[in-house]
Amino acid sequence: MIGVISYLVFFLILALIFSIAVLGLNLQWGYTGLFNAGVAGFIAVGAYTMAIMTGPSREAVMGGFELPFVVGLLGAMCTAGFAALVVGLITLRLKDEYLAVATFGIAVTIQLVCLNWEYVTGGTLGLISIPNPAKPLTDGPLAQNSVFLLIVVGVGGIAFWSLERIVQSPWGRMLKAIREDADAAASLGKSPTRIRLESFVLGCMLMGLSGALYVAFIGYVSPSDFLPIVTFQIWTMLIVGGSANNRGAVLGAIIVWGVWTSSGYVISKLVPTEIQAQGGAMQAVLIGLILVLMLLCRPRGLIGERMNVSRHARI
Amino acid sequence: MFIRQLSAALAFAALFFGGMAHAADCPVKLGGVLPVSGPMGQVGERISTTGQFAVDHFNAAGGVKGCDVEYVLRDTQGQSTVGVDAAKSLVDLEGVQALIGAVSSGVSLPILTSVAVPSEITQVSCCSSSESFTELAKSGDTNGYWFRTYATNRSQSAMGALLTTKSDFKKTAVIYVNTDFGVGLAKRFEQDIPKLGGSITKMVAYNESQQSYRAEVTSALEGNPDSLFLVAFPVDGATITREWLALGGTDNLIVNNSLRSTDYFEAVGTKYLQNLQGYDSAQPRLPSVATFNELFEAEFDGPPNGPGLHSVYDAVTVVLLAMEASDEITGANIRDNIRKVTSVDGEEVYPGPEGIKRAKALIAEGKTIRYVGATGALSFDENGDVQAPKMTWKLEGDENIETAYYTEKEVAELIIKLDN
Repeated sequence: MIGVISYLVFFLILALIFSIAVLGLNLQWGYTGLFNAGVAGFIAVGAYTMAIMTGPSREAVMGGFELPFVVGLLGAMCTAGFAALVVGLITLRLKDEYLAVATFGIAVTIQLVCLNWEYVTGGTLGLISIPNPAKPLTDGPLAQNSVFLLIVVGVGGIAFWSLERIVQSPWGRMLKAIREDADAAASLGKSPTRIRLESFVLGCMLMGLSGALYVAFIGYVSPSDFLPIVTFQIWTMLIVGGSANNRGAVLGAIIVWGVWTSSGYVISKLVPTEIQAQGGAMQAVLIGLILVLMLLCRPRGLIGERMNVSRHARI
Repeated sequence: MFIRQLSAALAFAALFFGGMAHAADCPVKLGGVLPVSGPMGQVGERISTTGQFAVDHFNAAGGVKGCDVEYVLRDTQGQSTVGVDAAKSLVDLEGVQALIGAVSSGVSLPILTSVAVPSEITQVSCCSSSESFTELAKSGDTNGYWFRTYATNRSQSAMGALLTTKSDFKKTAVIYVNTDFGVGLAKRFEQDIPKLGGSITKMVAYNESQQSYRAEVTSALEGNPDSLFLVAFPVDGATITREWLALGGTDNLIVNNSLRSTDYFEAVGTKYLQNLQGYDSAQPRLPSVATFNELFEAEFDGPPNGPGLHSVYDAVTVVLLAMEASDEITGANIRDNIRKVTSVDGEEVYPGPEGIKRAKALIAEGKTIRYVGATGALSFDENGDVQAPKMTWKLEGDENIETAYYTEKEVAELIIKLDN
C-alpha cells in the first residue's frame, strides 16, 4: 500500500512537471495557433539555467552560484523567455509548417549546444549534484517526494491560475482572434506579430519552468534528456487532452504519461518471462494503439475548447 | 513541524510495511531497467536476454535462499524520464531491492540519484561508462549504492597513452567522438600522455553520422603529428581514417577498442592499416570466462559477441550472490554483501549453475568468497568501479593479432602511476 502511494506521488510529480510544459504549448498552439516543434529546446534552456544557478561549484564548468531554488525557477523562466524572444523575433514571421520546421531546427541546435558547450553545460557528462529543495526539509524518500509534489502542485497551480486569467482577459480573446483570422484582427488595429511574440515568449517561459523543476527533482541534467521525442510527448499530451483548454492540457499530461508508463507495467505482467526482452517493442505498439484509438474516439481531445466569447457572455 | 511529523509517521509506516515485505517473500524479485526498444534497442535486447540467462543459472542452482528468482524487466526506451519511472515502479510496486541497469549513462544516473539512492536500493550497471558516476561517488552522493561491472574509461585512456608512447610517437593528434564516452576518454588521454613522455598536437571532436569529416581531419593535421589517436565507432571511424590517409596523414594509427572490428578493417582496407595498433579489454585467461562462453554458446547457438553481455551476467550474479549472503534481503545488505562475495582473499567461485551451487554452499558455511565471473575477477573499488585486464593488438596482413597482455594488476598500477 505504502509502495503504491509512494509510486503515485512520484508519478504525479513527473506528470505535473510535464503538464506545465503542456500548458505553455497550449498557450502557443491552442490559443494562438503557433506550431512550436521546439519544446524540448526551451525545456533544456530552463533545465540548464536551474542546474547552473543552484548547483555546487565544479571543476572546469561555470557555475557554483548555489542560489536558492526560487531564484533558480525565476532565472529559468527568464532565460527560456529570452531564448524565445530571440527565436521568436527571427521565426515568427513564418507560418504553420514553416514555423514548425524552424523551431524544430532550433531545438536540435539547442540540444547540440548543450552537448558541446562544455564550459557551461558540462558537455556529454552533464551536471550532477543539483540540490533538491525538498531534501533539507525531510527525511525518507516518500516524505521528500511528497514535499516536492506540493511544490510542483503549488508552482503548477500558480501557472494554471494565471493562464486561466490571461486567456479570459481581453488579451486572451485577442489570441483567439489572431488564431482564427490574423487579417481580421489586424484590420481592428491589433498587431498579430507582436501578440504572437508575446504568446510565444510566455509559453516558452512555462516550458523553461518545467525543465527547471525536472532537474531539481532528478538532481542531474544531461543533453540526452532533451531529445526530440520529448517534444513529441508534450504534443501528444496536448492533443489528447484537448487544445485550447487548460484543464485538458493538465489532464492530457497525466493521462498520456500514465499510458506511457503503465503500458510498461502491463507488459511486464502479461508477457512471459522468457520473452520479456521482446516485450519492449510491444510497449511502443501499445502506446501507439491507445493514442490512435483516443484520437479516433475523441478527435478534439478529451476536453476540447469551450466556445464562449467572454466569461461574462455565454452562448 | 507538520512536515517532521508527517515524515516520522511515513518512515514508521515504511519500516512496518517494509519489514513485512522482506520477511519471507517468494519469489525473490530482481529488477532490470534496460533499453529494450529505442535507439539502443538492439544492444539492450541482447543484454536483457543475457540477464535472464544469469537468473536462470541461479535458479538452476536452487535460487536465492530456496526461493526462485523472478527477473522483472522494464524498458527505458532509452529515455531518462521513462527509465526513472520504470525504476520507481519496480521499487515501489514490485518491491525489488536491487536494480540492474541502465545502459546509457544519461539514463542510469537519473535513476541512481532520484530512485536508487533515496530508496536505498542497490543499482548495478553493466554498461554505463561515464566518469560522472565516479565523481558522484567521491562526493558521497551515492552512499555506496552504485556499482558497475563495466571497466571505466580510465583504463582505456591509460592504455592508449601507453601504446602511443611505447611506439615512440612524440606528437599525437586526437580525433574523438563527441559523446560522454569519447569526451571522457580523450580528455583523460590528454592528461595522461605528457606523463609518459608524449605530447598532443591537436584535439578534435566529431559528431556522429556525418557524410564527411574533411574539416575535422584537416584541423587535426595541423602541427604535423607523427601519430593519430582515434576514438570512434566503425562506420564513422572508417570515413575518418580514409580521409585522414587521403589528405596525407601518417599511417601510425592508435585506435580504441570499438574499432577492433572487421567492418572497420574492410571499409578502410587492411593494406592501409599495417601500422595500426589498438587496445581492448582482454578476456582474462581464466577458466571462468571459458565456462561462461561455453554455457552461452550452448544456450544461444552463438558466441557472446556484443557489448555488455559478459558484464550484465556478472552484474546479475554478483547481486544474487549478495542477496544469498544477506540475512534479510534489503538494498543496504545487498550493497554491503557485494563486497563480501567479491572479497580479494575469499575462495574463488565461477559462473554457471555448478559454480553457483558451490558458492551457495560456501556462503552457507559462513566463508568469504571471491566471484570470478564472465569478465574475470571483479574487485570493486570504493566508488563501485572495476578494472579489467587489457590487451594490445595490431594487424598483420588480414590477421588481427595480439601483441601484449596486461593483467588487472598491471592496469591498476599503470593508472596509479598516471594519477600521481
